[in-house]
Amino acid sequence: MQEEILNIKNQAVGRIMEAKTDVDLDQIQIEYLGRNGYLTQEIKNISRLHKDDRKGAGIIINEAKKIVLDMIVARKNQLKDSSKEWFDKTIPGIKPSVGHLHLVTQAIAEIADVFEKIGFVRVRYPEVEWDYFAFGALNFPEVHPARDDWETFFVDVNPDKKYGPMVLTPHTSSGQVREMKRVGKPPIRMVNIAKCYRRQSDISHTQMFHQFEGLVIDENISVVNLKGTLDYFARNFFGDTRKTRLRPYNFRFTEPSFEVDITCDICNGVGCRLCKAGWLELGGAGMVHPNVLKAGGIDNKKYSGFAFGWGVERAIMMKSGINIPDLRLLYSPDLRFLIQF
Amino acid sequence: MDIKISHNWLKDFLKTSAKPEKIAECLALSGPSVERVHKINDDYVYDIEITTNRVDTASIIGIAREASAILPQYGIKANFKFEILNFKPNPKSQKLNKLFIKTNSRLNKRVMAVVIEIPKVEKSPTWMKDRLEASGVRSLNNVIDITNYVMLEIGHPTHVFDFDKIVTRKLIFRLSRHGEELTTFDNKTYKLFGNDIVIEDGNGEIIDLPGIMGTKNSVVGPGTKKIIFFIDNNDPILMRKTSLNLGIRTLAVQLNEKGVDPELVASAFARGVELYQNLCRGKIVSKIYDIYHNKPKIKIIHVSLDFINSRIGVDIPAIKVKDILTALEFKVSLIRNTFSLTVPSFRLNDIDIPEDIVEEIARIYGYHNLPSKLMKGALPEKLTDSPFQFEQKIKNYLSGWGGIEVYNYSLVSKDMAGNGALKLKNPLGSDSEYLRTSLKPSLIAAAKQNSGQKDAFHLFEMANIYLSLDSARDKLPEEKMVLAGIFANQDYRLAKGILEAFFEKLHISDPKFLDNLISVDGLYYYEFEVEKLRQMHKDFVAFKPIPTYPAQIEDITFEFVGETKIGQVLQSIEQVPWVNQVELVDIFKNAYTFRIWYQHPKKTLTDKDVEKIREKIILTVKKKFGGLVNN
Repeated sequence: MQEEILNIKNQAVGRIMEAKTDVDLDQIQIEYLGRNGYLTQEIKNISRLHKDDRKGAGIIINEAKKIVLDMIVARKNQLKDSSKEWFDKTIPGIKPSVGHLHLVTQAIAEIADVFEKIGFVRVRYPEVEWDYFAFGALNFPEVHPARDDWETFFVDVNPDKKYGPMVLTPHTSSGQVREMKRVGKPPIRMVNIAKCYRRQSDISHTQMFHQFEGLVIDENISVVNLKGTLDYFARNFFGDTRKTRLRPYNFRFTEPSFEVDITCDICNGVGCRLCKAGWLELGGAGMVHPNVLKAGGIDNKKYSGFAFGWGVERAIMMKSGINIPDLRLLYSPDLRFLIQF
Repeated sequence: MDIKISHNWLKDFLKTSAKPEKIAECLALSGPSVERVHKINDDYVYDIEITTNRVDTASIIGIAREASAILPQYGIKANFKFEILNFKPNPKSQKLNKLFIKTNSRLNKRVMAVVIEIPKVEKSPTWMKDRLEASGVRSLNNVIDITNYVMLEIGHPTHVFDFDKIVTRKLIFRLSRHGEELTTFDNKTYKLFGNDIVIEDGNGEIIDLPGIMGTKNSVVGPGTKKIIFFIDNNDPILMRKTSLNLGIRTLAVQLNEKGVDPELVASAFARGVELYQNLCRGKIVSKIYDIYHNKPKIKIIHVSLDFINSRIGVDIPAIKVKDILTALEFKVSLIRNTFSLTVPSFRLNDIDIPEDIVEEIARIYGYHNLPSKLMKGALPEKLTDSPFQFEQKIKNYLSGWGGIEVYNYSLVSKDMAGNGALKLKNPLGSDSEYLRTSLKPSLIAAAKQNSGQKDAFHLFEMANIYLSLDSARDKLPEEKMVLAGIFANQDYRLAKGILEAFFEKLHISDPKFLDNLISVDGLYYYEFEVEKLRQMHKDFVAFKPIPTYPAQIEDITFEFVGETKIGQVLQSIEQVPWVNQVELVDIFKNAYTFRIWYQHPKKTLTDKDVEKIREKIILTVKKKFGGLVNN
């Protein structure tokens, strides 16, 4: 019987090797392994054998069945491969149309993300704003250059009795007192990202631009915390190798006030044509002036805070080294510009 | 404002061995903003930005004083040497000339004047010319140059008149009337707006625009024999207004508008007279006039050491605080950890509150010496209904399907603004005079600007529009965030498909939203209020069980005659019972092929079941739309 099984198996193997199509192979499978197939029949014959031989015969038949099945599968795969046409890896793909988020959107998303990770709450406040929130509440005196109509846009409506003229906000700082009023009681950690407007337009200024404003108010907030936050932002947004420094400056709504610099990405802080001795100006910052806290209804004896407000466009330029020669391009709809980012 | 400081000149008042580069670096970190330092001949020049609160540093002595406080913190020895000068008094025998000076306590804080006889108006010595030129000031003659030299060195603007040109000998300060005219010494005639501080001669003729620029009718020339050396300290706000109205931005007015210390008048005056005596062999020929209306009051600030240290965030010892403030010329007394600080006269405009003292300590101590630590403490509550994630998500969807995001200006021309748009009082130009009430005109313009582009493109923008709420306009406008987009060179079905996919992702099933896609000049435009989308959308929908019984799928092609709304055909087919889904898969001429999914939730449909449903579909389409099956 052993020999008989071996013969059936060899016969099957021979036919499998010669098979040219899947249909042939399916036919072979039925003939040998089907309900009435040759090898299936052999199993039925086992009962006729002597009791001692039955086990050995079973093993042999099962082995034969497995070999036949494996070979059918292998031959099928072989047929499949050989039927393939010549395959050119170098042919270009067919692309779906590729969209583009604007650079400003990309930067805002990243900035918001960096600050939200340390508990800042993102908000947005009016772009068309009362003079009071843009200047008065921020400790600007009645007469101040920023309030002159050659720096700030004024809307042609009658001034409000309480809040003064209507302006296009020249900075996101106008959200400071609004945020204090919204939250009421510190802690405050705000990041306000919005459009701002100033009366200038040249290669490094657009009359509409974006700022992001940070405001932190709590007990015992110090210059050391401001430094900590700025360094955290610089590391996460600009990269590990960039360093910041504070320089004294003057703003009405902060005291002390600083200008924040970051090491130049072109020369890595050594000093080059594009920077000031290795440093680039990032923007202003400072400890919130007690009069501003007062305007926001915050107890300025108990609480202190810091704030900073920087240009999104500026941050983009300084991050990437994409030297856009004329900032006005950012607000052009020219596809040849937009599809680059 | 930006000033230039000569290193050689600085060294007259600052005793230090520090190199210019080092001085520049230390100043920038702890005080005046030094932009750069460059070498000119055998001198170095510092370019320095002066902030409006620190006009006291806009001079050689101002920078020398700051440097003397700052450099020792960097381990560099530095001493500030500035003595009030004593000029020679007038000889008693001389017959004195008289001046009539009328001031006004609302216009003037202080005026000093003296008549000096000058033997000869000539060129200035080379060293003076060099220093002036290093400071960016052109040398004219010795008489004029001294006024500029004193201003640059001491920080208070000064002036000279030709004494003989003021026949009346009268100098009367008053406010100008609207329309009055004057001609400045550079021969330009200006019409005044009114309420400008002027000096007239008693006959109504304006002989000076004080603090801003001299006039032609009183200017010193080659033939001048006697001068009036004149220093006036006037109302800074009025001077700034006049200067900006007339567009005259001299160095003098840039200093004056920041409120120069009236105490400096005496120093500048003494220095000027000394120079006239030494360089021009000048002789004093009048008494010295000094009219001082408002001598500044002494200001004392109280601040505790604890306050200083808690605001800075480190512990700075009391002795260090005292040293820093003393170097800045505060008078310091310390009782039980509280400082009482007398503010020097040149800082009176700038130092008001304890926080100002914190700044002085922190900057001189050095911000770079402070550690950097994130704040501890509780985190604030998040906004309960924040729109930002949603806004980002929908931008991501649109760009994912090939949309290109654009940012257009909110400020547009009148014809792009829409009805009821808010107007600016002071626009930069007529193309940016209004706040837009719709994104549509900007996007159409944007698409047209890219008309050179032959391939299909999809531009989109998300921005506020500004809707004035009422006719009285005493409220801020509503700022409504709008998502709008435009397709160019694009097939309608492909454009619409993007919106269909968009709403599918947002789980918004109301087909009315698709009506927002409209055709404009061969372009397809859409807009949505972002807030409405946010209210309608769902992040997740309820789970639906996966069908247990398989669907049978087949394609049926109908032919229609005339204009048939395929959207309605699809709806009708979908309403036939056990039709689970239907799609338009092909169009050939007037033949439309639909793919139909037959499915029953409780059993597998037999061929017979399907046949019944198919017949029903065919009947419906025939009855409603006249469509015939095409085999």
